Amino acid sequence: MAIDYEKEIGSAQVEQKFLYESGNEMAAYAAHQINYHVMGYFPISPSTEVAQFLDTMKANGQHDIMLIPSDGEHSSAGICYGAATAGGRVFNATSAQGYMFMLEQLPVQAGTRMPMVMNLICRSISGPLNIHGDHSDLYFALNTGWPILMCRDPQSVYDMNLMALKLAEHAKVRLPVMVASDGYFTSHQKRRVQAFAHRADVHKFVGEQPPAGFTDTLDRNNPVTVGPYMNEPDYINNRYQQSVAMYNAGEVFEEIAAEFAQLTGRHYPTLEQYRMEDADVAVFLMNSASEIIKDVVDQLRLQGVKAGALSPNMIRPFPQKQIAEALKNVKAITVGDRADSVGGHGGNMVNEIKAALFTYGNTTTKVISRIYGLGGKDFYAEDGHAFFQLAMDAVVADKVEVPFDYYGHNPGVPAEAPKRLLKPMDFDSLKTGLITVNRNEETGKLSVKVPPVRSLMKKPRRLSPGHGACPGCGIFSGLELFFRGIEGDIVALYHTGCAMVTTTGYPYSAHKSTFIHNLFQNGAATLSGVVEMFWERKRRGELDGLGLKEDFTFVMVTGDGGMDIGMGPAIGAALRGHKMIIVEYDNEGYMNTGAQQSYSTPLGHRTSTSSIGKAQQGKVTQHKDTAQIMAAANVPYVFTGCEAYPQDLLKKAAKAQWYAQNEGLVYGKILIACPLNWMTEDKDGTELVSKAVESCFFPLYEVEQGITTITYDPEAKDKRIDASEWLKGMGKTRHLLKPENEEALTNFKNEVQRRWTRLKAKHEHPDL
Amino acid sequence: MQDLSLHGRLNQSTIVEKVKRIVILLDTKKGVMSVVQLPKVNALGFFEIRLESIGGLGANLAGKMLAEAGVVGAGLNGVSFSSYGSEKKGSPVKAHIRFCDMNTHIRDTSPVERPHVVGVFHEALAKTVNVTSGINEESTVLVNSAKTPEELKELLKLKAGTLAVIDATSIALKEKNRVNMAMLGALFRLCPFLDTETMKGVIEKSLGKKYPQAVQSAITTFERGYNEVKFMHFELPAGESMPEYVRSDVSPLGYETQPMGGSIINPGSTFLKNLSISRSGMIPAYEQESCINCAQCDTVCPDQCFVWEERLDRKGRSQMFLLGIDYQYCKGCLKCVGACPTSALSSMREKEGYADAHTVRHTFDLVDLVAQS
Repeated sequence: MAIDYEKEIGSAQVEQKFLYESGNEMAAYAAHQINYHVMGYFPISPSTEVAQFLDTMKANGQHDIMLIPSDGEHSSAGICYGAATAGGRVFNATSAQGYMFMLEQLPVQAGTRMPMVMNLICRSISGPLNIHGDHSDLYFALNTGWPILMCRDPQSVYDMNLMALKLAEHAKVRLPVMVASDGYFTSHQKRRVQAFAHRADVHKFVGEQPPAGFTDTLDRNNPVTVGPYMNEPDYINNRYQQSVAMYNAGEVFEEIAAEFAQLTGRHYPTLEQYRMEDADVAVFLMNSASEIIKDVVDQLRLQGVKAGALSPNMIRPFPQKQIAEALKNVKAITVGDRADSVGGHGGNMVNEIKAALFTYGNTTTKVISRIYGLGGKDFYAEDGHAFFQLAMDAVVADKVEVPFDYYGHNPGVPAEAPKRLLKPMDFDSLKTGLITVNRNEETGKLSVKVPPVRSLMKKPRRLSPGHGACPGCGIFSGLELFFRGIEGDIVALYHTGCAMVTTTGYPYSAHKSTFIHNLFQNGAATLSGVVEMFWERKRRGELDGLGLKEDFTFVMVTGDGGMDIGMGPAIGAALRGHKMIIVEYDNEGYMNTGAQQSYSTPLGHRTSTSSIGKAQQGKVTQHKDTAQIMAAANVPYVFTGCEAYPQDLLKKAAKAQWYAQNEGLVYGKILIACPLNWMTEDKDGTELVSKAVESCFFPLYEVEQGITTITYDPEAKDKRIDASEWLKGMGKTRHLLKPENEEALTNFKNEVQRRWTRLKAKHEHPDL
Repeated sequence: MQDLSLHGRLNQSTIVEKVKRIVILLDTKKGVMSVVQLPKVNALGFFEIRLESIGGLGANLAGKMLAEAGVVGAGLNGVSFSSYGSEKKGSPVKAHIRFCDMNTHIRDTSPVERPHVVGVFHEALAKTVNVTSGINEESTVLVNSAKTPEELKELLKLKAGTLAVIDATSIALKEKNRVNMAMLGALFRLCPFLDTETMKGVIEKSLGKKYPQAVQSAITTFERGYNEVKFMHFELPAGESMPEYVRSDVSPLGYETQPMGGSIINPGSTFLKNLSISRSGMIPAYEQESCINCAQCDTVCPDQCFVWEERLDRKGRSQMFLLGIDYQYCKGCLKCVGACPTSALSSMREKEGYADAHTVRHTFDLVDLVAQS
């Protein structure tokens, strides 16, 4: 809502203060004032900042929310659900694919009636991957059974977050509530915002503690069974209860909004109407665009057009009656849906509005449906004028010429249609013959010969130059070195991550050979499918006409984040033994979304969700040992490597290819530098990964047919350095060298030593 | 977070600043118009600024500081945001700021398309981005450059308007601080309604705790930006008009020409891109005489800048030889300089024209486009 400062400050009963903040900051600000018990989260743009801001505030001792970095949104929803059953207050924030990944959990939580508050920072749904704002994720929320509050600006993000909790916990509701705001348009735009000046006033409004008397899985004296097996005829009654609760939420929201208006002077009617009193034509839009349209209404009113605008502050329950009432005398309305319900002859909102009109006997108002603003395409005032023009045209023509269409799409210029530019890579130059792998039939061991790196400079790169990674990014030096050790053709699948987004920014692609992207919980499964289709079509003789000279080598590329959220499918693929390589570039964090901690982030390292402050000094848990986890799946070959030891990595690549073509799945981890988020100079990457090896934090080794071999032993070469020598070179770790962090540093060093000692034992004993 | 509560903690700002804020807040409470006057506004009441930069130069931060100086420091109302994507450091980015008086409704979330002020953080951006899009003859375009306003007018193909020039890169290198501080200083000069003393307080506050040694150099860089910016106005020649504003959100590829499903059917096409704008002043220089062709540079290069050739060595064996660097793709990370075991690669301050004169182009195995069509 637009703020009339004079009126509002004057009428607030509870002292307010001004902030200049974005939507995400205000969601976090409200959460920290409420002081929720638990937030289980997983980073995804554009919602990630909410957890980041809360982490920063926590590091500074401003709240006690238990922030749990989960291994994926499905888990984050699980954590939140479990926490909600356990009686405390629960908070989350997510977007788009993250929301889709947790979708299964959401009706569970609504159906078993466990309140919590989740912010959906709306963003378009893949694929192709798009990180910008529309309502396609929101429309999936319509059927989850969660009441949905809508936010048009950072002010309403704050206000709705306070009201949402009260609504969720209300005895007549008892449902998890969603607070939806527009990704980037609202989440990242800073505005002047008012907030409660005192936390005590917030608590007075939402209640000091959650109301007692409801299911609490920690109440020893009242054991309860949550989530039973319930078939017909009982299930329909459970759902009826839920339906009643949802409609109750509409009424309860009005009560809460009235109370809130008394306290703050900021009132949120269920349906916001702008100059609708005598409107002939109207436009319906939601969230950020519904503010822009008000300027258009003002301009049209000056021209004598009786224009008005409608937008809901709540869409579940849908304000059917209020909309029908508001449109009673309107001649035509254009409804803009910022997401399509593909095949439904309109987005979800237009069809619900039509149902509202029909239900209340209005058969005269003309309704024009347009899908607009998809994938973050901006909505300008001129677009608003176009929407009104459609409505005015319908009034004049007394009919709607085109009831449903897209708005803002364009046919394109035929001359600029894409054409293939590069020839497919020459097979013979990819198959140099410079690298040989032979198996000794007696010992079963592989003998590998690789030439000096210089000779391999004649081998074409798998990527074109021109990708958009940061200066000094270690991903592509690491990956290309690995690929130099692979002979012949590859098919690559990259998980979502820096390597993917920087090489495939539409309409460009840096990949010269075939490349597939899939979302980063599911790459291993997806490539499994490609591999098995290859073998099946080959068996049927269907590949003969496709120019194949030798079998492809199938390579999946993932970051360390993809090996967190995608760990399950990776282990599944490993256990199934598909002939493919999983190569992980590990830069110790979720760098693509802004440097959040991953499970591979080492203890004490600073990320945007393991901040440094008086109450916290970086990450609180030790780094994940992914190579050992994959080795425990008993795949034929596991390795580690880095660009500082090129011959070592080339040999491992050659072995990886042999095993992936002859035996089964290979996993390899390449440590790579991220100068931006390690807070170093761009030029320092090679030296830093080298020091990680020399400090034995990142030992170079392989596990071949179950036998561990350390391929470079810094101790034997008399090159071992203290971990501090490595840590002092990075901005993200320098704090660990301060005296007050001695304990964390010692813990980290002990863990490094423990893993190194165990690795040496494995190296020495083939049975381990 | 900026806490403006009268009752909240007023942080470590100076006494003067405290007093100022209180005055502003009291005014706000009374609903009085803002204490400063905007020099000009558009039909909706906004003074609009657009910053054009590349990720890593700090334009986002500069935009935030500028906006806060207006909203928090000068008692204006405003909105600020950046263009967000998965663009990495070194890619073009924009920041948008709108200022208005306290009683103007802020509803527009769309990007600033018709700016009063444009701040260009890197002159080379003009090669790939229409940085002056939407300006009129009364707009001011601030450019980080060592060139003269006349040269820049040519480079930007500016028809009319005021050019403001500041050599922010040189100042930043000299003062061992960041380009954005010098640009911020110059931007303050273009926004006379902002108070430089407040800004210095903000710099002190934000850096003082963690990097006290950086405070003075940041303030000096800011002040030099403010003092050293040069202006020149160019009148619109009679009978000519400013270029029409072109909406930035229309793609040449459309639903009739986009291959189905979003697939890219011309893979490898990133070689068409020019990444030289990602460089922030430094560049590797290659001297063939001392090169031993060990390929250490190529091994660590993230951007495939090294160009090789196969030929016979002195013993008559076929070998790979390094020819040089394709600077079109070099982002200036200088990893190669560290990897080089000889003196063949060294780092240098990039001079105008050096890269073009010394680049060795990659060759690409192109499809015959005529035959294809």
